[in-house]
Amino acid sequence: MPTATTTAAIEDDRLDATFAALANSTRRAMLARLADGPANVTDIAEPFDLSLPAVSKHLKVLEHAGLIVRGQQAQFRPCALDAAPLEEVSTWAEQYRPIWEARFDRMEGYLHQLQQQHKAGTNDDQ
Amino acid sequence: MTSDNESQDSVVLERTLDAPAELVWSMWTEPEHFSAWYGPQGADVTVKRMDVRVGGPRLVGMTMEGPNGTMSMWFAGEHREVVPSERLAYTESMSDEDGNVKDASETPDGHPGTTTVVVELRATDGGTTMTMTHQGVPADSPGAAGWNMAFDKLEPYLADQQG
Repeated sequence: MPTATTTAAIEDDRLDATFAALANSTRRAMLARLADGPANVTDIAEPFDLSLPAVSKHLKVLEHAGLIVRGQQAQFRPCALDAAPLEEVSTWAEQYRPIWEARFDRMEGYLHQLQQQHKAGTNDDQ
Repeated sequence: MTSDNESQDSVVLERTLDAPAELVWSMWTEPEHFSAWYGPQGADVTVKRMDVRVGGPRLVGMTMEGPNGTMSMWFAGEHREVVPSERLAYTESMSDEDGNVKDASETPDGHPGTTTVVVELRATDGGTTMTMTHQGVPADSPGAAGWNMAFDKLEPYLADQQG
């Protein structure tokens, strides 16, 4: 189990990439298609009214997020799903984690500010 | 850091804060303080009800300026456990601004209808360790699109991978 702060930070970055990749209905549909099995770009593009370059762009985002892996055969580069990052974000609760982290960051800042003000106030009274 | 609660339906966060437990408690129970940190950047948090006793209501709204005008979201709930400076539990459901809870078809895909937030505070050397558990039962929203559709389809695949 990772405990180091740096590991946590890297994991956060990876989660960000996963969330960003999933925040698009076309890309989610592409993943759903790949759940049936590997496919090449032309197959993946078929249900969408999109140019091949546009489809490639979406696939790049998915690849960057580690959600798909692509073969090396230059012309077809078949895509396959890699579901590992999805397991981490597939529950509603995990979708809430970054929201709470941000809230507690703000709480820390606010507490600090309050206590500084309180200190300043106490000093004024003396 | 391990937790007893490995459930898929909850998120557990722990923080050690440089403040006494009484002050951290007020972050959750006093409207003025709660609204200072709860909302995302750029959102106005309105606390309409915060009656901190068992059975007492909460009603919190968040208002944001978006490209399509002002957007508001409201969450209504009830306090379940109140032990000052130690333990607070309350429920939360999406609602309208009067606290009328929305039904499952109106909430985002896969989001439980009602969730529970449990906050535990423990005094440590010069500070407070705060453990927050947000738990819920996933809603079975038929006809859910988006996230759910993709994930439903992925589930058998994930099961295969783990099997």
